[in-house]
Amino acid sequence: MSDRILRLQHVEVRVPDLELAAAYYTEVLGLVETARSSSGGAEQVFLKCWDEQEHHSVVLRQAPTYGLDHMSFKVAERDDLDYFTDKLQAVSVPVKRYAARELGPGWGEAIRFEAPSGHLVELVHGMERVGNMLPMTNPPPRPQDLVGIAPPRLDHVFVMAEDVEAFTRFFMDVLEFRLTEQILANDGHQLATFLERSHTPHDVAVITGPNGGLHHFAFWMDDWNGIREAADTLAYHGVEIDVAPTRHGVTRGYTTYFFDPVGNRNELFTGGYWVDPDFEPITWTEEEMGRAIFYYHGQVNERFFTVHS
Amino acid sequence: MGILRLAHVDVRTPDLDLATAYYTQVMGLQLVQRGTVEGSDAAWFKCWDEEDHHSLRLRYHPRAGLDSFTFRVESEDDLHDFEKRLEAYGAQVSRVSRGEAVGQGESIRFEVPSGQIMELVWEIEKTGNLLGKRNPAPAPPPDLPGIAPPRVDHLLVNAEEVAEACKFFTEVLGLRLTEQVLDGNGHQLGVWLAGRTNSPHDLAVVNGPNGALHHWAYWLDDWDHIRKAADILAFNGVQIDQGPTRHGVTRGNTIYFFDPLGIRNEVFTGGYWVDPDKEIITWTEQEFGKGLFYYENVVSQRFLRMHT
Repeated sequence: MSDRILRLQHVEVRVPDLELAAAYYTEVLGLVETARSSSGGAEQVFLKCWDEQEHHSVVLRQAPTYGLDHMSFKVAERDDLDYFTDKLQAVSVPVKRYAARELGPGWGEAIRFEAPSGHLVELVHGMERVGNMLPMTNPPPRPQDLVGIAPPRLDHVFVMAEDVEAFTRFFMDVLEFRLTEQILANDGHQLATFLERSHTPHDVAVITGPNGGLHHFAFWMDDWNGIREAADTLAYHGVEIDVAPTRHGVTRGYTTYFFDPVGNRNELFTGGYWVDPDFEPITWTEEEMGRAIFYYHGQVNERFFTVHS
Repeated sequence: MGILRLAHVDVRTPDLDLATAYYTQVMGLQLVQRGTVEGSDAAWFKCWDEEDHHSLRLRYHPRAGLDSFTFRVESEDDLHDFEKRLEAYGAQVSRVSRGEAVGQGESIRFEVPSGQIMELVWEIEKTGNLLGKRNPAPAPPPDLPGIAPPRVDHLLVNAEEVAEACKFFTEVLGLRLTEQVLDGNGHQLGVWLAGRTNSPHDLAVVNGPNGALHHWAYWLDDWDHIRKAADILAFNGVQIDQGPTRHGVTRGNTIYFFDPLGIRNEVFTGGYWVDPDKEIITWTEQEFGKGLFYYENVVSQRFLRMHT
């Protein structure tokens, strides 16, 4: 049987200033530009992290406003696209299918549909493989000519939904994600949930907020020392740091949050823990929400809850 | 379906009390319970973040060595499917019923082509980690003794015929080959195999005598914890075999050392993400030194020849 959804494949984000955003993502964050194209009349820049094998993990799209165009998850087998098409249609969710390369350079075969929160979600198979920056014979552990922060890979996406429970049910029941953690309000309803397919604490997470909102997307760093060095790089370049290096209660991860030059929030993340398929979810209560989000300070700045894109 | 991850390693030790002191005070594992196995004294241990009953079983035996190693499968139906695949391959499979083994339900056991006993299990008694499921702190209590790794990571066994073992683990058990070391004739000298952990290895096989255990490894969160572990090992007079250093293969950061009865342990961190369709990395014989220990670039004879 197929492994179905494996992990987050890419995010496409809207940026009102494509050249400024491209300069930031390549020179400060240290991603690699793999292509330029356009779709629906909008210019696009395709980017990947150095250790990723596939064509892109971030697509920047020229648009009048910022925010998330769509999120895409990788499936293990081509048949999984049919499997999920059937499951989605069985719950009356319209599905659009796209041939390989139809959506852009390097793009695999894909299906797209809308989540209950209004987010456009894609499942993709057969992305063009362009290789990481290392040979497959006797590879050194890391390339030498990286610029900026240079995270090895994309890690997760965090979005907003008016109805967190509907979003969570959809991702669990239809897309077969597993719940790892939740923050419950005193009346018992879910304020935020964390969902995975990769046996890590989260591949996608959702918190109460406006439908279609993007809270942030995150890149993996190898360890806490990498997070500290990244904060040095961000501060040097005058990037607005939202939350300085600290630790989450939820996911146990180490983190720093900051904004790209057009206002989309980015995160660098490391840590976490192993998740078995029958992992019992962790629950955080409303009165401990501060520690759930930022464990050391136990409180969350208003900006973290109210600013999104 | 598939093999998820390493669940536990069962080992024989000629001094159970000394080994228990080392694994609890220096390695910093939790002693779960004591008992007997086949008439010998035994003890069960786990790491602080593991929810399963145990990840290490030690039992007294005059001669140190590997009893067996156990992997957890992804779903309950997998045991039956693997039993059929193993029998089709020609392996002798025995079923262990619920209640026969401490801390777990039904399992299947068989001999792998290199002579070690392997076990597959789905149902494991969940005893929880040290943190619980309601507003848990992200870190363990600060007073844990020793190195205190959060979990077991992988196992490396020896095989006279590495290629045969690799074929068995990939074709019959569905493990994924991530890296290999080839000699000048194209023969596999070592292979690294992944279950469903998206990591470079859950099991590795290196050329050596059949039936032997090279080491098993505990996960640490980062290089700084590897450095601190080396301090703890040196303070306690533990014999360090290699490191702290870095592997070329797996990219991991590592220390190898010996428990008081001569069984090799490792602490490991790092690596990289592995998709199921990832292309295999190959190391050539002339670069084997860097593949093993990237900074030193030497093929250590003790490392290759000493095993349990």
